[in-house]
Amino acid sequence: MAKLTKEPDQKQPAHRVGLHTEQLVGRTQQIFFSAEEEENYFYPDSLTVDFAKRAEFDAAEMDSRQINLTIRQLMGEGHGTIVVHNPLAKHSLGVGILGRLQLHFEGSLGYFGCGLIDGPNIHIKGRVGWSCAENMLAGTVVIEKNAGSSFGAALRGGDLVCRGDVGGRTGIDMKGGTIIIGGRTGAFSGFMMQRGRLIVLGNAGKNLGDSMYDGIIYVGGRIESLGIDAVPAEMTELDVDWLNRKLKTYGLEAPKGAENLQKIVAGKRLWNYDNLEPAEKKIVL
Amino acid sequence: MEGSSVAEKAVLRHSRIWRPEIIEDIQAKAELGRYRFRGFSALLSRALPSFDDLTFIPCTLTRIPLEGYREKCSTKTVLGTRFARKPIELDIPIMVTGMSFGALSYNAKVALARAANRTGTSTTTGDGGMLPAERENSKTLIYEVLPSRYGFNIHHMKMANAIELTVGQGAKPGTGGVLLGAKVSEQISKTRDLPPGVDQRSPCRHPDWMGPDDMVIKIEELREATDWQVPIFVKMGATRVFDDVKLAAKAGADVVVVDGMEGGTGASPDVLLDHTGIPTLAAVCEARAALEDIGLYGQVQLIIAGGIRSGADAAKALSLGADAVYLGTATLIALNCNKPIYVEDYHKLGTEPYACHHCHTGRCPVGITTQDPELVARLEINAATDRVVNLFNALCAEIQMLARSCGKADVHDLEPEDLRALTLEASMIAGVPLVGTNKVFGGGPGWKRAT
Repeated sequence: MAKLTKEPDQKQPAHRVGLHTEQLVGRTQQIFFSAEEEENYFYPDSLTVDFAKRAEFDAAEMDSRQINLTIRQLMGEGHGTIVVHNPLAKHSLGVGILGRLQLHFEGSLGYFGCGLIDGPNIHIKGRVGWSCAENMLAGTVVIEKNAGSSFGAALRGGDLVCRGDVGGRTGIDMKGGTIIIGGRTGAFSGFMMQRGRLIVLGNAGKNLGDSMYDGIIYVGGRIESLGIDAVPAEMTELDVDWLNRKLKTYGLEAPKGAENLQKIVAGKRLWNYDNLEPAEKKIVL
Repeated sequence: MEGSSVAEKAVLRHSRIWRPEIIEDIQAKAELGRYRFRGFSALLSRALPSFDDLTFIPCTLTRIPLEGYREKCSTKTVLGTRFARKPIELDIPIMVTGMSFGALSYNAKVALARAANRTGTSTTTGDGGMLPAERENSKTLIYEVLPSRYGFNIHHMKMANAIELTVGQGAKPGTGGVLLGAKVSEQISKTRDLPPGVDQRSPCRHPDWMGPDDMVIKIEELREATDWQVPIFVKMGATRVFDDVKLAAKAGADVVVVDGMEGGTGASPDVLLDHTGIPTLAAVCEARAALEDIGLYGQVQLIIAGGIRSGADAAKALSLGADAVYLGTATLIALNCNKPIYVEDYHKLGTEPYACHHCHTGRCPVGITTQDPELVARLEINAATDRVVNLFNALCAEIQMLARSCGKADVHDLEPEDLRALTLEASMIAGVPLVGTNKVFGGGPGWKRAT
């Protein structure tokens, strides 16, 4: 038989990020995807930068596309600290950054600010619109004022901090990481949450933690109502220690101390609806 | 006495209302106290308007055919020409639809990726993130961005050749996916960030946007994150297709995917499979009319999915306005779904080959819709790949044969004028004349017919 068409090479970055190394046999006509071919794998925002190298620009006259391209260009030149003046609440700013970077927005962002990122430390002096830092994998995003709805939607990692108030559906479909709200949060926060921790130092709106699979919600103020299958739980020393350390990192404090936060977890009553039919259960369960 | 017993046996007088399957269904629900589940496809005890209700009218004297078996007939398909810098180019107009790793086994996913690769077409990730082996084995991969965002990873999205923003699916539009606990194995629970064994019910709404106005900005965000390189598809279940397609196109989609009610699924309540959505035939007609209505037909490509079973179905969809078709259930059947092997395991599930719809149980006798390593091993990847490749080649040859008989040197040149309706209903839906009348009843979906 002809030699296999592709030798797995552990040195390839593609394999280091988890791509499979399985060998194929007897198929010579296949064209393989290779992460090393530039046309297949564009990775424009994962750049090596130097934090000491600082750049600033005024975004007042630029559109979202130009602002994102300028950030990328500056990262390409090795700038590790970038300050954006006058972002003027434009949408989709700072999205898709996949590397270390100190990014400062000296103003407010529109929808989807800093979404789809992995690694940067972002500081926003103003407010943010809907779905800030959605699907973030790692890094920190700190907002000084208020945030819109769907804050940290489907967050997978990193720390997302809003010192002010946020809208509804905060941490919806959250899969990991930590969201910290200095003020109050709206309705349906933690909706269908899967993992991670949501800390609300102020009040929480109605249906908190509705249909949550797992994860933990801590609330410092009043909870208007709990959602379906969200139940109170006992605080432990581990919780208190972790909360104190986490809040201290961002210069925040629980109003009556971390030990007095209310802890909400999944009741797990919705985990299994027992959906198999009687005849199927006999074989499957 | 004996005589009357014979007469009773001979004339059972079943009620057409309370048919045996209706009685069985009521009694099962009386025991369960909830809706029933099934996988595979709709049960449908009634006939839907379908592509079978149309027939091609090949060339005779008014048109000149191409040599059916030899002359060149292009199947090259280009998708995403509107905004993306790198539209995807496929050798055939048949693509593999999104089916998740989780609903399908590792072996099934890899076999589909390899088959797509060998036939020069694409495969799609599904509601569970990207399986790395799937990326490595496919030249063209479409990465789905679903409401659940299970396994969503920006690194994976950047490796994809196109992004599909999924709003719904044909099998159960308006409702999220389901993966029952039996299939949420340790591995699946890790990829989806869920507790193992939990009944996973995907959200039906995206977490970060709600309506079409937000979707405009969401699409912009996805483009910014991928440097405007790859096409953005918007996939929807077929409901108010005329309006929904216009909204998706206006929101900035490069490609719109419409999935009809015949579309399959790994698990769904019966009631949604059988009683929601509109048939694929109606969906393709409405979708084309919608794009023509806003002057984007030809600029925004259209992919049709849902119950495409043969080259004839695909060719009819192309004639009515689709640029390509998605295949899901048909590829699983090629993999071995419902094949009469391991018959004793079908019996254990209380079913038979050809009638199995037990994907949701995770006990697929042929190793396709299961996470059980012993069952998965029954699907041999290379042989399975060959079968799907053969199916795609056969379907493609069927489409070409129909196109050549209609005098077309490119399968994308097929048009509604090449079709006639066999039923009044199909004439009204598709806007093509009823056979023998040369008259379109009801005016059709409103597109500009070739004169």
